[in-house]
Amino acid sequence: MDYSEAANRISRKFAQGGQTPDVKKIEGKLRRLVDEFGVQPSEAERSVISELSKEYNLPAPGSGGSSGAGGSGGGTQEKKIAEGVPGEWVTIEGKIVALSAPASPSIAQSGIIADESGAIRFVVWAKSNAPAMAEGSWYRIESAVVDEYKGVANLKVHSGTTIKEITEDRSLIPAPAPIRDLRPGIGSVRVKFVQEWEANHERMLQSGLLGDESGTIKFVIWKEPGKERLVPGAVYSIFYAQVDEFNGRLSLNLNAATILQEEGEIAVSGGESTFTGAIVHIAPGSGIIKRCPVEGCNRALSRQNYCPVHEIQPKFVYDLRIKGWLDDGEKTHNILIQRDVVEALTGISLAQAQEIAENNPLGMDEVFLQMRDAVLGRYITCHGREIDGRLLVNKCDKVAFASSDHTALLNRAGGAPS
Amino acid sequence: MSTNPHDMPRREGAFEREPARRVFAAELRECRYQFKDGEDEKSPTFVLLPSGERSNRIFIVGTLTEKTRQGEQNMFYRGRVVDPTGTFFVMAGSYQPEAMQQLAKIEPPQFVAVIGKPNLYQKPDGSWLVSVRVESITVVDMDTRDIWVLDAAKHTLDRVDAFAKEPTPDILKAKEQYPTIDPSLFRKIAYDALAQIKI
Ligand SMILES: [Zn+2]
Repeated sequence: MDYSEAANRISRKFAQGGQTPDVKKIEGKLRRLVDEFGVQPSEAERSVISELSKEYNLPAPGSGGSSGAGGSGGGTQEKKIAEGVPGEWVTIEGKIVALSAPASPSIAQSGIIADESGAIRFVVWAKSNAPAMAEGSWYRIESAVVDEYKGVANLKVHSGTTIKEITEDRSLIPAPAPIRDLRPGIGSVRVKFVQEWEANHERMLQSGLLGDESGTIKFVIWKEPGKERLVPGAVYSIFYAQVDEFNGRLSLNLNAATILQEEGEIAVSGGESTFTGAIVHIAPGSGIIKRCPVEGCNRALSRQNYCPVHEIQPKFVYDLRIKGWLDDGEKTHNILIQRDVVEALTGISLAQAQEIAENNPLGMDEVFLQMRDAVLGRYITCHGREIDGRLLVNKCDKVAFASSDHTALLNRAGGAPS
Repeated sequence: MSTNPHDMPRREGAFEREPARRVFAAELRECRYQFKDGEDEKSPTFVLLPSGERSNRIFIVGTLTEKTRQGEQNMFYRGRVVDPTGTFFVMAGSYQPEAMQQLAKIEPPQFVAVIGKPNLYQKPDGSWLVSVRVESITVVDMDTRDIWVLDAAKHTLDRVDAFAKEPTPDILKAKEQYPTIDPSLFRKIAYDALAQIKI
């Protein structure tokens, strides 16, 4: 047992409550209990904490009624994982649902442990000499500490913690949460892959947008052996993903998550918008474009087939898009129209556009001009998702002349003059 | 279907583009007041519509009836675009090469959709001219023209109705700049324009 570390931990716990216990004294007591009296380290800690609590007139930890459910030395409160509060000592029973490579030599093991209430990341210090835990097995972890790092709760397994494997058969069915209810930490969701984004980092395997009935969230998968890309449009149950927070926005890191593709459909909502107006501008970069063929890149290439990351790519892939502005006379909406919608709207298929690009003297510019002439100044209704002030259009309808509107306006204009 | 973050530059998304106002020729030609919003050289210039709304850009659909090429060194095109209420005077010069190429290719008469910036000029004889500097001009069909008439009528009526209600700073300015114009005139103009569309 690392007495000094344990003493410091206990001291900090009380310091949070405004007390100033003597660390050296705590260390001495722990040493005495363990070395001289053969007390289990966890029981020694419990006893020291209990003594200090009495001294400071605080309720003793573990006296809350739910403790001591079984086994020896359950010195801290037995809790459901979701109830753990940073700064607390807890005893939990859970299943190891993910193990990840330790980030430093001082860490023996790290991963995610879950029960039916939720999941939490855990770290086993090398100094704790704890037995190695196996993915898929259940354990009772006594006297671990919940702390917080960057707003995310972590379970720390130290030398005062005891770990016992639970051999009885238990099943754990994680309940997916609505995206809207996710918090930094670990979360499970059932989602549809609504939008694939260009990987903007060399180590990134895939990124994009996942959605369910309650909203959308960005996700990322980093390159790692065995990691597979998700299929756009497919529905997935994702268990134990890491929910990160950056600048107040949440995102999911799926590298340690369990991902199961599912049947069925999800009506993704949140950010769905519809605008009607006239197309008043088609931006450069519309029409037929070339994309980088490197796995996971998909960037638009320059005229010289140059990818900003992968340099010259002669084996590019053609794509269609229209970037522009849709204007209803009061507000102008930035729109980005995807390939299939471009084909339907302009009547020019990707194959036809490619034929023009490769054979017309103007090349790709000719496709831009033909598409511009086909859509500029036309009234259309665009359906799509609004992200960062831009509508990603997945469906377009041409506006038809409505005689009912005509009649209504005639009545309005011919009404009593004001 | 894939969307790239690089397809969606943030800055462009955050930028508020001035909407293209819908206005009939009969109202636009009454403009006499033009102003800059801000001290900056790049601050946009607006004409004030008599119905009380500023306009830095307009969207019109009508019939291109005439087109002329002018100038030698500084070549430009002039055109006349007619709606049910009157004529818009449009022009595209070498500062708008794309618009000039578009206009050069169109043989009148044709239905055209024009996006452009209105500009107010006082001619040497003291009379006023509102011309439209073309940003883009494309050939469209009659349906688009008819939809535009509905669209322009709706916005005109909206402005006339707003004028009679709570005054915005631009409405107050319009009352000051156009003391002799009664905006209910534009209600009549909208009605006549709508009545010209065959059902
Ligand atoms: Zn690339």
